[in-house]
Amino acid sequence: MVKFTADELRRIMDYKHNIRNMSVIAHVDHGKSTLTDSLVAAAGIIAQEVAGDVRMTDTRADEAERGITIKSTGISLYYAMSDDSLKSYGGERQGNEYLINLIDSPGHVDFSSEVTAALRITDGALVVVDCVEGVCVQTETVLRQALGERIRPVLTVNKMDRCFLELQVDGEEAYQTFQRVIENANVIMATYEDPLLGDVQVYPEKGTVAFSAGLHGWAFTLTNFARMYASKFGVDESKMMERLWGENFFDAATKKWSSKNTGSPSCKRGFVQFCYEPIKQIIGICMNDQKDKLWPMLQKLNIALKSDEKDLMGKALMKRVMQTWLPASDALLEMMIFHLPSPSKAQKYRVENLYEGPLDDQYAAAIRNCDPEGPLMLYVSKMIPASDKGRFFAFGRVFSGKVSTGQKVRIMGPNFVPGEKKDLYVKSVQRTVIWMGKKQETVEDVPCGNTVAMVGLDQYITKNATLTNEKEVDAHPIRAMKFSVSPVVRVAVQCKVASDLPKLVEGLKRLAKSDPMVVCTIEESGEHIIAGAGELHLEICLKDLQEDFMGGAEIVKSDPVVSFRETVLEKSCRTVMSKSPNKHNRLYMEARPLEEGLPEAIDDGRIGPRDDPKSRSKILAEEFGWDKDLAKKIWCFGPETTGPNMVVDMCKGVQYLNEIKDSVVAGFQWASKEGALAEENMRGICFEVCDVVLHADAIHRGGGQVIPTARRVIYASQLTAKPRLLEPVYLVEIQAPEQALGGIYSVLNQKRGHVFEEIQRPGTPLYNIKAYLPVIESFGFSSTLRAATSGQAFPQCVFDHWDMMSSDPLETGSQAAQLVVDIRKRKGLKEQMTPLSEYEDKL
Amino acid sequence: MEFESNYEIATTADFIYSRKFTRVALQFPDNLLKDATRVVRALKAKLLSLRDSGEEHNGDNNDVGLYVMADTTYGSCCVDEVGASHINADCVIHYGHTCLSPTSTLPAFFVFGKTPINVSNCVENLSKNALANEKPILVLYGLEYAHAIPHIREALKEALSSDVSGPKLEINYANVMCTVINPSENHKSINEPASGSPADDISGAVTGTRYAIGGLTWNIPEGHKMEDYLLFWIGSDNSAFANVVLTFNSSEIVRYDAAEERLVTDVSHRLRILKRRYYLVEKAKDANIIGILVGTLGVAGYLDMIHQMKELITKAGKKTYTFAMGRPNPAKLANFPECDVFITVSCAQTALLDSKEFFAPVITPFEAMLAFGRGRQWTGAYVMEFRDLISSSPVEVRNQAEEARFSFIRGRYVEDTDQQETFNDEQGEEGALALVTAAEKALQLRDGNVNHLVKGTAKSGAEFFLGRSYHGLEIHGDGSSPEPYIVGRSGKASGYEDEKSKQES
Repeated sequence: MVKFTADELRRIMDYKHNIRNMSVIAHVDHGKSTLTDSLVAAAGIIAQEVAGDVRMTDTRADEAERGITIKSTGISLYYAMSDDSLKSYGGERQGNEYLINLIDSPGHVDFSSEVTAALRITDGALVVVDCVEGVCVQTETVLRQALGERIRPVLTVNKMDRCFLELQVDGEEAYQTFQRVIENANVIMATYEDPLLGDVQVYPEKGTVAFSAGLHGWAFTLTNFARMYASKFGVDESKMMERLWGENFFDAATKKWSSKNTGSPSCKRGFVQFCYEPIKQIIGICMNDQKDKLWPMLQKLNIALKSDEKDLMGKALMKRVMQTWLPASDALLEMMIFHLPSPSKAQKYRVENLYEGPLDDQYAAAIRNCDPEGPLMLYVSKMIPASDKGRFFAFGRVFSGKVSTGQKVRIMGPNFVPGEKKDLYVKSVQRTVIWMGKKQETVEDVPCGNTVAMVGLDQYITKNATLTNEKEVDAHPIRAMKFSVSPVVRVAVQCKVASDLPKLVEGLKRLAKSDPMVVCTIEESGEHIIAGAGELHLEICLKDLQEDFMGGAEIVKSDPVVSFRETVLEKSCRTVMSKSPNKHNRLYMEARPLEEGLPEAIDDGRIGPRDDPKSRSKILAEEFGWDKDLAKKIWCFGPETTGPNMVVDMCKGVQYLNEIKDSVVAGFQWASKEGALAEENMRGICFEVCDVVLHADAIHRGGGQVIPTARRVIYASQLTAKPRLLEPVYLVEIQAPEQALGGIYSVLNQKRGHVFEEIQRPGTPLYNIKAYLPVIESFGFSSTLRAATSGQAFPQCVFDHWDMMSSDPLETGSQAAQLVVDIRKRKGLKEQMTPLSEYEDKL
Repeated sequence: MEFESNYEIATTADFIYSRKFTRVALQFPDNLLKDATRVVRALKAKLLSLRDSGEEHNGDNNDVGLYVMADTTYGSCCVDEVGASHINADCVIHYGHTCLSPTSTLPAFFVFGKTPINVSNCVENLSKNALANEKPILVLYGLEYAHAIPHIREALKEALSSDVSGPKLEINYANVMCTVINPSENHKSINEPASGSPADDISGAVTGTRYAIGGLTWNIPEGHKMEDYLLFWIGSDNSAFANVVLTFNSSEIVRYDAAEERLVTDVSHRLRILKRRYYLVEKAKDANIIGILVGTLGVAGYLDMIHQMKELITKAGKKTYTFAMGRPNPAKLANFPECDVFITVSCAQTALLDSKEFFAPVITPFEAMLAFGRGRQWTGAYVMEFRDLISSSPVEVRNQAEEARFSFIRGRYVEDTDQQETFNDEQGEEGALALVTAAEKALQLRDGNVNHLVKGTAKSGAEFFLGRSYHGLEIHGDGSSPEPYIVGRSGKASGYEDEKSKQES
């Protein structure tokens, strides 16, 4: 622990070349928090007056209980490099002191939104991979996310202790395992070719891969060993590095290097000979308490133990020795300082990702140069509940300029549009705060390149926002974060005592703030809904809601429900017609399913209402086989004008058609939001306006006549086109040993899941199983699975796609029909669907 | 004879005769219209006989004009004063279901009608219920059953006195407020929580809180709350009942259905309405343009309410338009797609308009106050009568340091219209000028904002129209030659002739 005053910390914050903002990302249970802890223990900055050893991350009681991280936690580390070790550092620096702002993020997929928020405000990422389990689904997900944000990664192969103690594998085998892990990671990274970011793959011989044992607090990079041996062999450090990895073999007998194994028993790979074996030897000696052998070796390695430490035995001794010899903090922090970019370096290329406005304006320039004298550009990535109930810190990163206490700032929310006053506030920052361990210290200002927490803005920011100076009216906001998970699981909550409703309302507002992903809404029936990424996520949210945000008032929650989508299977069996209330106007329509992949393209924003019509028709014609002219006749998308349904005009020569377009669009927005089956959103339906008969007098074809009619005819065409329900489906990844496979399959079968990939991890007895599982079946899945496999299988579920339910909801007694009834009942609608005859009119 | 008693011909004639009305409007709801001629005939006969038997010297006023009014513009439960003034009527006789809302200009006489009821069955149910329940019971009823209440009261007394072992039961009955409403007197009686009104409850309490709803009135002794009572409703599941359920939503309520002669204890579907109203309030909070529907021209104080609503909404930085519209339906309201929400100012029993068919939600003035008045929260209390709102809640001044509003519809914080801006505008310009500036503003913002057709994005009607793709007349520049004549459609709207032929072929 490094004891600092706020002023001392503030001083280092000005050295923008000596700051590293980085997040720790990994699959769940790969040891992020443990590793972080060992870093914090060595270099964590705490306020001067706070004494004693406190765990820094995993601050919540439930995190400790469950053994997982739930909220990302930021912590600042201080590291002073020696001149000697910095000699090979080519980048810019201001002195030898480094400030590392580290964010430990959750590994469970339900909390990926926390990772997204963490990535936005960091420039580098330490990817932690379990050396036995290798690259898992969540490793891949977060890695992709990081690269998408132009975050430079370094890798650490963690849980090395398992190789030595548990698995007892020999050197060559271990090397192969590590090599595979690194390769797997590199495969993902290689897909992100980026000229600005450069090569993002990691190489042990370049020092961008570390080997660590977080639990025991030791780690090394090849740099450590190279430095050690370079003098001994009298070769260059970098040359030595290269020899310590890859196809370089050393024959201890002949003392010669070769590029392939000569076959002689004394010939071993460089890594095995010089890194793996010595560690194995020391660990072996320590574990067997052969102290007589140990002391001379330690002397040779220049390791001095304190006298009381010499009395330790077995594991404790081993831990102590290894920590002294290869301290995790040194190896990892050096790796970060050397290979991760400083804010000033990173912002040069990240500005393109970050800034929404033109890249040649002064704001872009200020971000690019990380200019502390430039205009303030600050992105608030999350809101952190403060200890006084109900208030929040706005936590974010200063990209340019300085934010100071009392400063008036422009708050641009996620819906802000430059030039408008929507979602825009000008307020003053009451206090700027930095974290020193668990304690917050108020500072006068915080310069660019650093993370900061602000007091007094929480009433104007829901989840995230861009801040600038009051006067900077031309600044565009920083791009909003894109989350990899979506809130598909929902519960309805109500308070046990009706009079607690105001508390519930207040609590929900706070909950919405505290979590980047959770969505608190209200249903048509008046029920409050909380939507989250998964069961675990919701569980945590509900707990927070009740205990922290509602002061313990009791709430009642419904069973989790999922939202469905309504679609059609075929083209309408006939052209349907509806008459307006005054019978003077008729709309003729047909529904058909959108081409495969088109709804997804609309979701991704590749096709949307704001497209240039030419480029839109090009995509539609080339990828989806649309007629070029037809593509120009799209009236609108919906629901909310951007959804994956559309209205296309197929009429020929209809008089006054333009006049009713707006009314039809309004009716369509309404109908596509609440489909005919169960008032769920529609998805993937194209409505074709076939013909229109209108009254000659404008007054008789106004909105009042056309809007309800458009809605009715849309419903009628949906019902005649074989309507179907779409249900959300998770992609589940499970890693388990062979003997657990039987259990996994039976649970998946029972839950309507199906396995589409089963791969054995090379070199391990573990299998990787990928399966699709309907979200509605996923409740309790994780616990059932654990029970069926005696705790050996742990699933990661992430929303993947919408899947059509094959049964016909119009056929009474079918599964889909039952589902429709259930949804309607829950929504307080009539259980019976409105029949087609209510919507369709006959001549 | 039953017909006469059902329509209270004698009392009605007495009322007209004693007050010397000469032009009388008879207001019938649609379902009773078929009896209108018989009623008129009977009334005429009765009046004639009264005059003959009465003093002869009053011969100058020889004939009483009776006029039948049907198809009222607003809810048929309210007195149609405007309709009546077309014929210069000096009183209105109202038949059928009524909300007993006070009138503003004309005296009115109400004939509730007498719906048959099985008294013994009702009493049996009531006593059973009373014995099973520890709470005191308050009996409320539909006005069409008012005639049977004395019988029920008597029968119950007998039934309970025969049951000696029974515990002391407390059963209160509500009284019918009056069958005559005079515009001059009602203001006093409404505004003062009448302490002097005769209360002949069994409990005998003279002081206490007086409640009045839908023409019924009752007293509750001090120290008791409405929640302490079990409400026993006699009547059908109509709007009057809904009114009671929503107003006293925290009380336990059972309903005796006289037509089916059974007790309905589950009224949860009515309470679900309350939750639904809560949703509508939340939705209304997101609205920018609000339409005020004038749903009555008779209920006293409606103008005050409209003014109050306008003031409230303007203060909230939103735009209002006022519509006078009888019996709103989806097609009528959809003619104003720019309105995000409608407030209907009408009597308590026609105020609840909730149908999925409506393009925009329709809320009551009470709900509007919750939605647009800052710092007010949904507590569960619900007021249907807008008259109770007028005095109770002056529009509060909004404090400056307020936070952004959290919208549960969108699941995030939303900004409200910049109020300062609105205020400045209103100070500087008025009327037509304000519209021009609004349009100008809309013009400036127009590009890049294609979403005006989505509800709740436009800030004024002008802005909404500018966001539409159709802007009115389209002039086709090409070709100056006149359009050729085209033979139009002929036939009926239900199927033009060319369409019929198409169908046949």
